[in-house]
Amino acid sequence: MIINYLKETTPAKAGVVFLINASYSKNMKELVNFFHEIGKLKGMPRRGWVINDIKNPESIADHTFRAAIMAWILAERKKGLNTEKILKMALIHDLCEVSAGDTTPYDPVLPKSRKKRKELMKTWPRFSDSEKKKIAQEKYKREKKALEGLISKLPANLKKEIKNLWLDYEKGLTPEGRFFNQTDRMESFLQDMEYWKKYKKPPQRPWWLWAREFFDDPILLELIKEMDNKFHKYKKPRI
Amino acid sequence: MMQRKRFYLTSKGLKDIKKEYEVLKNLRLAKTKGEVPKIWESEDLNPEYLSFQEDLNFLETRITELENILKNIELIKTPSKKKRDAINLGGTVVVEVEGDKDEFTIVGTLEAKPSLGKISNESPVGMALLGHKVGDEVVVSSPIKTIYKIRKIKY
Repeated sequence: MIINYLKETTPAKAGVVFLINASYSKNMKELVNFFHEIGKLKGMPRRGWVINDIKNPESIADHTFRAAIMAWILAERKKGLNTEKILKMALIHDLCEVSAGDTTPYDPVLPKSRKKRKELMKTWPRFSDSEKKKIAQEKYKREKKALEGLISKLPANLKKEIKNLWLDYEKGLTPEGRFFNQTDRMESFLQDMEYWKKYKKPPQRPWWLWAREFFDDPILLELIKEMDNKFHKYKKPRI
Repeated sequence: MMQRKRFYLTSKGLKDIKKEYEVLKNLRLAKTKGEVPKIWESEDLNPEYLSFQEDLNFLETRITELENILKNIELIKTPSKKKRDAINLGGTVVVEVEGDKDEFTIVGTLEAKPSLGKISNESPVGMALLGHKVGDEVVVSSPIKTIYKIRKIKY
């Protein structure tokens, strides 16, 4: 019975299948190339942990995974945020690092000697106003160029969406962009506390100096308090 | 639904927002007529605006956001001469932190860019510094104690 059905319907069905395949296969080569490229983030260790000599540091993709979940769940607690937009933003925010690499605030002053580097990690790097501007501009230009290169072969709509989500995150153009900009850093701060509990590094002082100047979202400030309770309850960090 | 909160903005911040709003409104108008406005040929144009040119949804979202900001704005005014010895919103403060010198301008959350020295009045350090004067030592603790020695205040 099934064979009869196939005999009767195969030519027409095959035609349909062929048409569907043709439309599915559009841009498929470019998509495969893109997926392959961004897959490299799974094997790229985050530089902030590498310069602190953390064993088996997390990858950029590892960071993205938890940043996305944190952003989704925390965004639901705020009124009026578009969660779908935040989730997409979280997923694409570090794609540029495939070729631009990961940067840290220490990069402009990082010594080659391991001993000196270890000392530097106990402090938070401070820069003049003009240096701050120069560092921020160079990072922005480098990452923007890298992202544009990465997405250049994607279909126009997708390219636009990714670029605009990234711009929103970088520049804080909407409440979603401003919220995720901070949530992204909160994931790093959580990872920092986890490493500190496990390895007693990185030094905690610079992280706290930075965090208390950086975060201002009430929900995230509340989260910091809980993270502090969890990770520093029995042993307070000294440095 | 857009958040209903007051946005503290410096006069420079307000000027930038108004300028962007005008540019984007002109762009929307031009797009409905199928034209490319002359402003796109200007060299000092913020490169981010170009993305709005390509994406109408993004353009509409940003215009709505700017309208919400302009409706709920609280302009940061320079304090009177008598009050300029204390740190207020919009003030720039030179501090010494653990032997290093740094400079912060205290702004509202919308203008905050900590990597550029603009810190939010709602951040723990921004909040702690407000109201203090030159010579004061501001302690920010929990869990690590940090002292901010105030060296100079500018407006």
